[in-house]
Amino acid sequence: MNTYAVKMEHIFKSFAGIKALDDVSFYLKKGEVMALVGENGAGKSTLMKILTGVYTRDSGDVQIFGKSVGNLNPKEAMMLGVAIIHQELNLCNHLTVAQNIFLGRELQKNGIMSSKEMNLKTKTILNHLNISVEPETIVGNLAVSKQQMVEIAKALSTHAKIIIMDEPTSALSERETKDLFAIIMRLKQDGCSIVYISHRLEELQYIADRITIMRDGKLVTSGNCIDFSMDEIISKMVGRKIKEKYPHVSCRKGKKILEVKHLNAGKMVQDINFDIYEGEIVGIAGLMGAGRTETTRAIFGADPKEYGKIFLDGKEVKIQNPRDAIQAGIVLVPEDRKKDGLFTRLSIKANISMPNLDLLDNKLKIVSRNKEYSMAQKIINDLHIKTFNPDVMAENLSGGNQQKVVIAKWLVRHSQVVIFDEPTRGIDVAAKVEIYNLMNKLKQNGIGVLFVSSEMPEIIGMSDRILVMCEGHITGELDAKNVTQERILAYATMYNSKNIAG
Amino acid sequence: MKNMEKEGHRSRLLSSRGVGQVLTITLGWIVICIIFGLINPSFFSGRNVGNLFRQIAPILLIGIGQGLVLITGQIDLSLGSVVGMCSMFSATLMTHSVNPGVAVLIALILSVATGLLNGFLVAGCKIPPFIATLGTMSIARGLAQIVNGNYNTDSIGNNAQGFRDFFYYGKSLNVYNAIWIALLFWIVFDFIARRTVIGRHIYAVGSNIEAAKLSGINTSRSITFAYMVSGLCAGIVGLMTCATSGMGSMDAGTSYEMYAVAAAVIGGISTLGGEGLLIGTIVGAGIWGTLQNGLQFAGAPVGIRNIFIGIIVIISVSMDIIVRAGKGRAVKRKSKNKEKIKLD
Repeated sequence: MNTYAVKMEHIFKSFAGIKALDDVSFYLKKGEVMALVGENGAGKSTLMKILTGVYTRDSGDVQIFGKSVGNLNPKEAMMLGVAIIHQELNLCNHLTVAQNIFLGRELQKNGIMSSKEMNLKTKTILNHLNISVEPETIVGNLAVSKQQMVEIAKALSTHAKIIIMDEPTSALSERETKDLFAIIMRLKQDGCSIVYISHRLEELQYIADRITIMRDGKLVTSGNCIDFSMDEIISKMVGRKIKEKYPHVSCRKGKKILEVKHLNAGKMVQDINFDIYEGEIVGIAGLMGAGRTETTRAIFGADPKEYGKIFLDGKEVKIQNPRDAIQAGIVLVPEDRKKDGLFTRLSIKANISMPNLDLLDNKLKIVSRNKEYSMAQKIINDLHIKTFNPDVMAENLSGGNQQKVVIAKWLVRHSQVVIFDEPTRGIDVAAKVEIYNLMNKLKQNGIGVLFVSSEMPEIIGMSDRILVMCEGHITGELDAKNVTQERILAYATMYNSKNIAG
Repeated sequence: MKNMEKEGHRSRLLSSRGVGQVLTITLGWIVICIIFGLINPSFFSGRNVGNLFRQIAPILLIGIGQGLVLITGQIDLSLGSVVGMCSMFSATLMTHSVNPGVAVLIALILSVATGLLNGFLVAGCKIPPFIATLGTMSIARGLAQIVNGNYNTDSIGNNAQGFRDFFYYGKSLNVYNAIWIALLFWIVFDFIARRTVIGRHIYAVGSNIEAAKLSGINTSRSITFAYMVSGLCAGIVGLMTCATSGMGSMDAGTSYEMYAVAAAVIGGISTLGGEGLLIGTIVGAGIWGTLQNGLQFAGAPVGIRNIFIGIIVIISVSMDIIVRAGKGRAVKRKSKNKEKIKLD
């Protein structure tokens, strides 16, 4: 009985008649790391929200450290030692690390904050976890990976004994992931129990003790991590066998489509030169802060550039803004779909038509509703976007389908180059494969594909050629035949700079 | 399959909110009218109804201007001052023997120019809209005060009778001209917002300006367009005000920017941008104008009117926020199908 930190039994939860959780039982032992996996919509998030008091369950029992609990609110959950670290961090960027850690629980004497004491206590926590961050640093100046560690420190400072991590490594590089794992081991030693939600199945073997797999609101199975092979995990998650994780296709390399010459845009994009040919997928690898996203944005005209010439099919194109790029035939699927890629509160149809109104309007600039509807319907069918009708608000789709909408709006145009920046981030396994297939189709149709990714296996699996960036420069180029993770890392760390801001 | 096609052809730029909300507030408007009618049956007399709609006309106009700006996610605080500025400029010119047609043209050019300035400050210089339009609000009000040497103008006189008829007294087809003007603007700009490329861009900018930029939209142009329309609407209302009172007053249009926000928001436009339909603005203006007219008719003091209006604005904006927040969690889809509920 006392070996369990959390026991959730026969949990049911419905939203508007649809079962989000259907008789799900979940057990977390003390001091273990339990991986919780499942496709988007499987119910993992809902289950955890019940544990953290954000949702109330319809029925079922929840015990925390042996004590039965009724319907919790988030504050009560925190008092019981439950903390969650969300994928989207909840930090105040303008405040210091110490201020963030003590947010809402500031130490004070007669109403005046004891900054010195808070800084000291913060330093203690940070040292304990081997996090090299100063308590007085402004959080907004820290790299994302360090910000995440601050969140973990914050959870620890509330004496959390049950820590839920939601996609903790999606924004981290390999090295930063290793640092995170070290911290998790430390937390385990301290007696914390951790729920580790992640789509990065390859990592689980390094960090998780046991695994729980969910699908469609139901518990599929649960057991020791080592007893499951990756294929097994995937097939249990999706309920069918996925033949190939990275469906790479070979194509004959044709003529040069895109030439980037001497692209310069601040210190993240320094003298970038490369070409893309017909029939290939070019990947751009590198650590966070290498300048990959910045390079794609500079090519697309989203950020101003100091210098640079871009040639499509041998002819120079002048790109000062995204509109120029789109007209020339270069399009970008941005890194952060919610922030940059979608109009969440507009319909799917409106999202798809937005950059393509020039294809739908007449001389009076009136948009043809029929054409718009047909355009949307066709691409929704072609890409298998799961929706009842095109008038649904984009924010109501799952992550994978949202990403498809972001891509869809470019596919209705005839583009020559499609740039993907982290196209499968936060997306479940089945949807990932669909996106890879899409990239292949583009490549086979003679459209240049440039793709930035922080997931090593993905970029190795899908690219024909890989450019590696480090601190604003392209430091190396690898061919699909001779690429390895080590070689990529070697190029990615060539400029050994310890100065990531903060 | 056929059903799906029918649904798709309904031009719904936005999902469930919009039309539903407009119907609800129309009901509210009818209820208010009935209440006032019960208090004083001559509320429904042809004379009062005509007056009522003539009072609503300027509110509808500024509601449209402000509404368009709100859809882009900005705000126009200078609206009321531009009303005053145009009123004063046109009256001052007319009392100095300038042809009314020329005076009208100059006033409208000024008002559109203010919109252009607002657009430049907000979109070009990236000054927060609240601050930028607060600045132009003061400048416009200052100009209204200076143009006639710090005095209200004299009566614009008999030469301006044509002007007064056009904007205030005159009727066409037995309906006041002012009402036709407002209706025209309402129909035209609602159409522009819903059906044209620039209209789509305006919704895009209000919904997510970053995504709009990356879709190749010229966001500065969209924002400036909205401000210029707002300026134009304010200019016309300034002319209407001048025609109504037969002179220019330096404090004409005071607080109109807020009334405009009220009309737009009651009509369903969100203060957070990217949502709402201009068709609702007529109901928002209608409720506002009816309350003004009805309370006046019932003999209520001015203060009561303002309190009422304030309460209604707060309720409208609160409802907007609640509706949006509610949609952040699990959403009840109208389609009783296996539409995937966003759980993660």
